[in-house]
Amino acid sequence: MILTQIAFYLFATVLVLSAAMVVSARNPVHAVLFLILGFFNAAGLFLIAGAEFLAMILVIVYVGAVAVLFLFVVMMLDVNFTQLREGVQRYAPVGAAIGVVLLAELVFTVARWQVVPHPAPIAAGNGLPPGITNTEALGRLIYTDYVFLFQACGLVLMVAMIGAIVLTLRERPSAKRQDVSKQHARMPADTMEMMSLSLGAGTTGNHALAAGRDGFLRPHDGYGAVADEGGPGVRAPEDHEADHHHGA
Amino acid sequence: MHTLLTDYFPILVFIVIAAGVSGAMLGGSLLAGWQKPYPEKVSAYECGFEAFDDARRRFDVRFYLVSILFIIFDLEVAFLFPWAISLGHIGMFGFLSMLAFLGVLTVGFVYEWCKGALDWE
Amino acid sequence: MATNTLMAPGLQAVGLGPYLTVGAILLVLGVFGIFLNRKNIIIIMMSIELILLSANLNLVAFSGALNELSGQVFTLFTLTVAAAEAAIGLAIVTVYFRNRGSIQVEDVTLMKG
Repeated sequence: MILTQIAFYLFATVLVLSAAMVVSARNPVHAVLFLILGFFNAAGLFLIAGAEFLAMILVIVYVGAVAVLFLFVVMMLDVNFTQLREGVQRYAPVGAAIGVVLLAELVFTVARWQVVPHPAPIAAGNGLPPGITNTEALGRLIYTDYVFLFQACGLVLMVAMIGAIVLTLRERPSAKRQDVSKQHARMPADTMEMMSLSLGAGTTGNHALAAGRDGFLRPHDGYGAVADEGGPGVRAPEDHEADHHHGA
Repeated sequence: MHTLLTDYFPILVFIVIAAGVSGAMLGGSLLAGWQKPYPEKVSAYECGFEAFDDARRRFDVRFYLVSILFIIFDLEVAFLFPWAISLGHIGMFGFLSMLAFLGVLTVGFVYEWCKGALDWE
Repeated sequence: MATNTLMAPGLQAVGLGPYLTVGAILLVLGVFGIFLNRKNIIIIMMSIELILLSANLNLVAFSGALNELSGQVFTLFTLTVAAAEAAIGLAIVTVYFRNRGSIQVEDVTLMKG
């Protein structure tokens, strides 16, 4: 019992301190790292409150994905962050005033509000039935009782996916994309032709003998720039003209 | 002692030990090391000449897109875990509910596949 | 010490008040962070994450105290929405930076016609 309290106050202290560092860190990378630390400690608080599944989800989704996303953006944008910190001195009084007002409101509410240290749980609430885990109890609720919210979550995720693609994906015409089906559909006859070469006939004019079976395989459109200048490549006459034109 | 938190007690012990060991290493080197920094010593060393630019290079935006898609599918899998455990209890309706959810996300998946967001170029 | 067995055991040990206090402090810190870092939109988004985390903390605490799992279900949905919000928000920041070369929040007012 006392160990639980110690763990709670440890997690709560580190959470509040790291949250304070998130909003006041000079370096945004440090702010993201403090955010990760804060999420870890919030997961500890969730665990103490009995929400095992949510604690694990918080670690997996937030620490593993969202915080990394923030880190990516901080590192991706080449922003002069010292320039962004300029107004902090000017804005601090306003922020502090609003924070104090908000805190005062909360304190007044709590002071006026009769805080029951142990409020009576709802006897008929759909809490954790005995003998099953927290995850299974959540599963019994999400997909049946809360089906509309669940489907709305699916729609939100789909919109996020499509929106992210629409916003950040840009076509680069210069990029060489790989088209696997095109590669598979490519046959040797489409690209190669059999050239035969008799002894002593040189490398030009052999296209007349192309009907022969012996010889060598050659791409339809020649060897291109590699066999262009004085190389031993064999060319069809139209390739000659094309090369001359290209060289001119 | 209640059972739920006793199950997690070893993790708490691990956290305390890890924090203690890493803190002892950092603090020990801070206390025992001889530290006398001056600007020339703490500046970045780059083969003798001045550093050309900042060490923090810009990432390509494609890393960001991959990361977003990872988040989306991470959450999808997060919704699959309770479903898989409680499938015997929620019956056909729960099963079809999850199928609809997966269908909606498959629409997004097909979209991103057709747009080429998964290709690395 | 109350002896009801319906409340989550960790909450029986700690009580509901400390949880709500932590949530309130997180909320105030988040709001303070928004005003403090008014130029840096990335820190503003992190402050929004903190505010959402404080709401989640309250939901989970009440869910454990009241023996009612709806709070945890809603927390799960909130986490989903928050993750999607972060993804789209950061995508917008990225596109804005690509177009204008800065993420100054004051510059965003130029989008007004």
